[in-house]
Amino acid sequence: MAAVETGESKSAARKAGKKHIKKHRLGVSINMTPMVDVILLLLTFFMLTTYFSKPQAMEINVPPDDKNTVEVAESNLLTIRVAPDNTIYWNMAREPAKQVEFADLHALLLERIKSNPKLITLLRIDRASTYKMMVDILDEFNLADITRFSLAPMQPYDVREIQKARAS
Amino acid sequence: MARIKKARISVRIDMTPMVDVILLLLTFFMMTTQFRPPEAVVINLPASHAQFKLPESDVIIVTISRDGRIFLGSPSQLIMATLFGEENKLRPEIEITKDNLSSLLVQARVANPKLRTVVKGDKEAPYGPVEDVIDILQKSKITRFNLVTEAKKT
Repeated sequence: MAAVETGESKSAARKAGKKHIKKHRLGVSINMTPMVDVILLLLTFFMLTTYFSKPQAMEINVPPDDKNTVEVAESNLLTIRVAPDNTIYWNMAREPAKQVEFADLHALLLERIKSNPKLITLLRIDRASTYKMMVDILDEFNLADITRFSLAPMQPYDVREIQKARAS
Repeated sequence: MARIKKARISVRIDMTPMVDVILLLLTFFMMTTQFRPPEAVVINLPASHAQFKLPESDVIIVTISRDGRIFLGSPSQLIMATLFGEENKLRPEIEITKDNLSSLLVQARVANPKLRTVVKGDKEAPYGPVEDVIDILQKSKITRFNLVTEAKKT
């Protein structure tokens, strides 16, 4: 009994004397594996569904009305025609049309705008051609800094010009 | 022969830093994600070097599909409700004909004057409908519009 009492009093004294008692920590270990699994699944889902590339846009200005016509010196006029099979023909003023590959169009446009800064470009695309041709050619115009261009429908005359260029 | 029991070495890898990084990534993707808007038709965009970013709101999109059909749509539910009625306000785009494109565009612009007209054509679409659409835009006094393209990889 005495020993117990002394023991108790000793421990009481120790409690009183030492301020910092090291409490026995409970080792709580949570199994995180399922949570991590779910998080990884979510991460994969978001990584796969997200998309960053916002579409770009090309700006086009068209004249307000069909009726007001602008007189253009014919010597400044570059006509580009696109045939139904997506071949490209070009001519200055009233020269006969010549075929040009799309890959060479950029160089051609640069050369034309350099030799004549007042160049006005007319783009005539056949209705059976594709939209991609129009975007590609307009893109080339933008790259070559050709700001004065207009879109015009194909006329029977243009079809004849293309046929003539093919025959020669 | 006595079987020798090999003492297994318990390999404990501390996963905490990895989990931290994964959580960070998850938060990032959850914050930045934008779901691809549903489309009535699949459009393969042509590529261009244009740098202009398309605005997200205040746009009305004229879509020309691969087979030359014309759709009209807008991200704004208000515009869709004004044009096609309350029951269609959640639909992304609705097929229309060339003849009522003009009047619909005018209605949309009355509802929201800041509206920017955007033409979104499939790259394989025939040029004919595109030419018609541009013609209609011109006639409805929309002289500035955008063509949606995707960035060209050079």
